[in-house]
Amino acid sequence: MKTFAISILLFWVIAVLAGYAFGLQGNHIELDAILSGPSRQHLLGADDLGRDILARILTGVQVSFFVAIIVTVITMAIGVAIGLIAGFYGGKVDRVLMKITDIFLAFPGILLAIAFAAVLGAGLSNLILALCITGWVSYARLTRGQALSLRNRQHVLAAESLGATVPRLLLKHILPLLSSILVVEATYSIASVMIAEASLSFLGLGIQAPNASWGAMLRDGVRYMLVAPHYVLVVGLSLMSLILAINLGGDYLRDKLDVRVE
Amino acid sequence: MIKHFVDFVTVVFGVLLLTFLLIHLVPGDPVEVMLGESASVTDRTALRTDLGLDQPLAQQFGSYLTKLSQGDLGYSIHTKTPIIELIKTRYPATLKLAVLSLFIGLAIGIPLGVFAALKANHWQDFVVTIVSVRLSAMPVFWLGPLLMLLFAVWLGWFPVSGMDDSTSIVLPALTLGLGLSAILTRMTRTSLLEVLNDDFIRTARAKGLNENTVIIRHALRAALLPIITIVGLQMGSLLAGTVITETIFSWDGIGRLLVESIEKRDYPVTQACVLVVALSYVAVNLFTDVLYRLADPRVKFGA
Repeated sequence: MKTFAISILLFWVIAVLAGYAFGLQGNHIELDAILSGPSRQHLLGADDLGRDILARILTGVQVSFFVAIIVTVITMAIGVAIGLIAGFYGGKVDRVLMKITDIFLAFPGILLAIAFAAVLGAGLSNLILALCITGWVSYARLTRGQALSLRNRQHVLAAESLGATVPRLLLKHILPLLSSILVVEATYSIASVMIAEASLSFLGLGIQAPNASWGAMLRDGVRYMLVAPHYVLVVGLSLMSLILAINLGGDYLRDKLDVRVE
Repeated sequence: MIKHFVDFVTVVFGVLLLTFLLIHLVPGDPVEVMLGESASVTDRTALRTDLGLDQPLAQQFGSYLTKLSQGDLGYSIHTKTPIIELIKTRYPATLKLAVLSLFIGLAIGIPLGVFAALKANHWQDFVVTIVSVRLSAMPVFWLGPLLMLLFAVWLGWFPVSGMDDSTSIVLPALTLGLGLSAILTRMTRTSLLEVLNDDFIRTARAKGLNENTVIIRHALRAALLPIITIVGLQMGSLLAGTVITETIFSWDGIGRLLVESIEKRDYPVTQACVLVVALSYVAVNLFTDVLYRLADPRVKFGA
């Protein structure tokens, strides 16, 4: 499981580096090659504008990963902060904060991200913003539940009676106990952010042309499915291989760190 | 019960507030974004007054709620049709799709889950588990095109897209339903395996009931409780999935209306679609909650 996940990730790293080494141009238009199948010049064929699909997949994976990492880091920071505060203080603070997360959770799946991306306008930074506004909720819930039960642990009470300040209690005495559960959650979240990013780009709300993104490539692939079925297939398989590798990595970490997530 | 109702009302209120605020998140002047830079001052002023954007925020929210209670969702900036009419024509299509997907999910997921549980740790179980784990990780924008390519383009069994043919619904419904079935398979398996070790199952077997009765009448009934909750929660991703699925298969439902409105920057329509889908989800969750309480004699409403 571990080897499989690592080899797929390694494959992508090597592929991206090789792409640079061979100087693949994702935005170079070649009119003769429009929607052509795999050939010596274009290993995975060319898209509807005659651009090399392989080169675009290799730029796409970097964008996808970049967005996933940034969004995961930001949402985790916000979510954990809110969860810690809610779980630590309890009472009214907890009720208000959890009510807010309930409201965010009342919007199914990525609908709210779609809505935010729609009003903010397309583009990379708005895409990241939209995913961040909606993505912190699961971390907040998870952290809050854990913080609530850790709040009255002996070592926390002991530190508190010795006069430790609240930030110190949260950061030094509660957060470290959450680190393994958060690492696992973050791994899965990288995969789910990649899917969310691709969904938004699929709907035209993400990265804008001419820059490559897997979601937009899938949409074009569907559009030209009748003439060039290889297009949608290679992009979809690329995305799935990466998602699979990350999820397997998450499973491995979960078992290794012995984390129980309800 | 009362606390439950208060929770429900606050969530609905929050959903209304958040959707209302959406239009105010448009960077710059929403009127200019919607009408384009070339619009005349008169047009802009007219739209601004129409949408009430010239009033204080609290007052705007007040009139938004009042209008909503009268079934008035405003009108589309592009076609000038009342949005409620658009929703009325599009909503049934989405509902039809969602219900059929749910049916597919249940019809495949539960029997397969029971099968996997009964064959636990045999090769049949492993095959079912591997397939369902992979399938549940497939986003609709990948599963949809795959099904389209296989069943519409290559095999030609179903139309590629649109909704003219009576079989047009099959592929979009499968796209949404298969993912759900994969999750239900895993849940049914886990849940049934837990129940099968319970005392009342031993009792049922001990009193000489045949195995089918034990599994279906006793074990599955108890195992269904957590499944109800999962179905309720999964309806969320199903509803969100309709947005992309409807776009892929040109299915004229709410999801596609939402995407079209975004492309045309018809924000009042966008707002209304988001609201309708979110409220549907809230309603589904309320319904599953009630269903759960009815199905489980141990859960009391007052608690």
